[in-house]
Amino acid sequence: MKRLFRTGLLASAMAVGLGLSVANAAGPTNDDLLNDAKSTGDVLTYGMGHQGQRFSPLTALNPDTVKKLVPVWSFSFGGEKQRGQESQPIVHEGMIYVTGSYSRLYAVDAKTGEKKWQYDHRLPEGIMPCCDVVNRGAALYKDKIYFSTLDARLVALNKDTGKVVWSKKTADYQAGYSATAAPLIVDGKIITGNSGGEFGVIGMVEARDAETGELIWQRPTIEGNMGTLNGKESTMTGKLNASWPGDLYKTGGGATWLGGTYDPETKTLFFGTGNPAPWNSHLRPGDNLYSSSTLAINPENGEIKWHYQTTPHDGWDFDGVNELVAFDLKKDGQTIKAGAKADRNGFFYVLDRTNGKLINASPFVSKITWAKEIDLKTGRPVYNDDNRPGSPEAAEKGKSVFAAPAFLGAKNWMPMAYSPATELFYVPANEWGMDIWNEPITYKKGAAYLGAGFTIKPLYDDYIGALRAVDPKTGKIVWEYKNKAPLWGGVLTTAGNLVFTGTPEGYLKAFDAKSGQEVWKFNTGSGVVGSPVTWEQDGEQYVAVVSGWGGAVPLWGGDVAKMVKDINQGGSLWVFKLPKA
Amino acid sequence: MTPRLLATAVIAAALAGPALAAEPAQEPLDPLGSVMWDVLRADLFGKAPIVFDERVTVSAPDNAENATAVPVSADASALGVVEEMVLITDLNPFPVVLRYHPVAAKPVIGTRIRVQQATPVRAAARTPDGVWHIGGKVVDAAGGGCTAPPVTYAAPDWADHVGEVQARAWAPTGEDKTSRVRFRVRHPMDNGLIAGIPAYFIEKLSLRDADGKELARLETLEPLSENPVFTLDVKPGASSRALTLTGRDTQGGEIEAVISLPWVQGAVQ
Repeated sequence: MKRLFRTGLLASAMAVGLGLSVANAAGPTNDDLLNDAKSTGDVLTYGMGHQGQRFSPLTALNPDTVKKLVPVWSFSFGGEKQRGQESQPIVHEGMIYVTGSYSRLYAVDAKTGEKKWQYDHRLPEGIMPCCDVVNRGAALYKDKIYFSTLDARLVALNKDTGKVVWSKKTADYQAGYSATAAPLIVDGKIITGNSGGEFGVIGMVEARDAETGELIWQRPTIEGNMGTLNGKESTMTGKLNASWPGDLYKTGGGATWLGGTYDPETKTLFFGTGNPAPWNSHLRPGDNLYSSSTLAINPENGEIKWHYQTTPHDGWDFDGVNELVAFDLKKDGQTIKAGAKADRNGFFYVLDRTNGKLINASPFVSKITWAKEIDLKTGRPVYNDDNRPGSPEAAEKGKSVFAAPAFLGAKNWMPMAYSPATELFYVPANEWGMDIWNEPITYKKGAAYLGAGFTIKPLYDDYIGALRAVDPKTGKIVWEYKNKAPLWGGVLTTAGNLVFTGTPEGYLKAFDAKSGQEVWKFNTGSGVVGSPVTWEQDGEQYVAVVSGWGGAVPLWGGDVAKMVKDINQGGSLWVFKLPKA
Repeated sequence: MTPRLLATAVIAAALAGPALAAEPAQEPLDPLGSVMWDVLRADLFGKAPIVFDERVTVSAPDNAENATAVPVSADASALGVVEEMVLITDLNPFPVVLRYHPVAAKPVIGTRIRVQQATPVRAAARTPDGVWHIGGKVVDAAGGGCTAPPVTYAAPDWADHVGEVQARAWAPTGEDKTSRVRFRVRHPMDNGLIAGIPAYFIEKLSLRDADGKELARLETLEPLSENPVFTLDVKPGASSRALTLTGRDTQGGEIEAVISLPWVQGAVQ
């Protein structure tokens, strides 16, 4: 009562004093979210627009002025929980909402760096995140801010007070489910994926009423599993046993752990799906739909409109969750509603986003061993059959192969950016391979369900990471920036002809978007594995990024993990601006 | 704790400023001589009238054996109708223990609290005329009750049991036919003072009878013991065979339980 009263008093003081009470308390509308890619005064959605282009129309910062970009403040996430910080900040009316490792959410004053509130989710002891205790961001809609937690819950909080409005269990963390992706909000529905692909879970896309948290529809990603709509069974995903033997579809993986994007022009959700489980592909002959795919989903009812499978019958952990970024492909005098995806398997795919037909697929890393090419007629890979790890049969271990890319992917979770100004994609890639072999495995609830052993090896002595500018018309790489450590952070591009991304060495860097020349860098004190954003405030252009080394590389990186083991951990939000002249 | 209390006090003082100054000089003296009383009085009651009243009794041990679970019961039934009760521990990092609204219940409550050091433990009861009647006593303690980690965490599966309720209700007794009900909610009740463990506690509880009528409502706060126990005397409708307990914690966790009432001859026509 005491605290409530005080908050009420402060709120009314603000209302009277500043005259911005209505907009402030009400928060962004659906139209505001849809307009996020164009509006420059805020960053309302993960991806800086539902299409996920991560492009800002701002031009104050350019390759010349960026030299004057300076830090304004840095905010510490506090505590002893300094693990990977993979978040993208959300910016709205002078407030930054940012998530931290271990399911924490902060509201920070964008001008001063002063904390307004903090929510620390109390996690149970038994959570099973496979790949570090990260969170990739929050979602803002009306008066609430939402984020997913490592114990597979979705939490809605009042954006002004940080008080929990509702908290819904989305899956059973004791069966290996968790959640790390930023939610997506479309027409009042909050849409989420799930994590837990290494525990034999079932990938799922779910829509809830953003106001109440009540479930509206569920769409499992693995064929044979039943979807729901308004509390009743709706339709089965795919056709039972069409591409999965026996009852393996019940533990078939396909986790949607990176969330999705939305294209308002075709009114379609795009969700990538993870690798099939277990890794040992000899146990599950068939294409294993819809693992390692992009699903186009109707946001109204959760029905699948089309799918495109990048790695049918995956045997290398070529998880297909990578984001599909909608863009206009201008080719041969035509404008095609296209979507692009830089897949973990090493190919850069351009699809017709109205029907999922393949337009082009080209390598964006130097070495791909598992397939010769993608057949543009059939849309399917032409496999190198001898590069599939062998079946263990009765032995303890099947034939080991050296395959590239490594299972951590030619590109992992870190989102790429697309500039309509340069008509180029900026892809954070890694050059690595792996020794991989299969082992016998059976499913056990809550236990890792891999059936494989593996170790990652760098391909080159001098670099692993490579930020590459890819021309979607030709598939050609226009420029590249090589980085010694693997790249693990998201990319941002601007109409000011700049590309921003972070490095594990601690730098936030800026590049000339046309030439790839490095034009600015700043060391944040720990590895940068988050996604930078930019916006305009009081006539000045700001840039923000989280700093804090972690993620899957130090946990799963084999030889590479050794290389990065001396990078110090951290947990902070850095804000920069270009001061007025 | 200090900055928060201070901020609140400043705001309260700013609000109440002129009125306080104009108030008659007969502000009663705290019989327990607490150094915190002036701050708490302004913070909790503003300019509302208060009286120290022996009809409000607090039962608690003179010396707390276990500072993480000190049994406390407060009884304001000698006042007649009471709209709200507040339990206060002056010298705890968070002084307010709970607020109790005995909607259809006796103004009597028993529970267990944490104490950080020797402190006055008070009950304030608001009668319909707006006057707060305050009684209390000093509980001596070795201290540390608010900063000791909960025993809950010794069990790796504690999270599976959060929100579970154990309860018992007794048959109505006395002239006013109140039923005693006692319930325990499994919850670590983390107050945020232990390093690395965020605040996480039950913030609301409500008891209803079979007709859906609210009998009692509690706003619960940091000083309550882990797995808190409450004893209330409620007046359910004559035909009620069970009570419903609902509540939620600061992280949106929901509590729901049905508590059976003992069968009584002739209760149901």
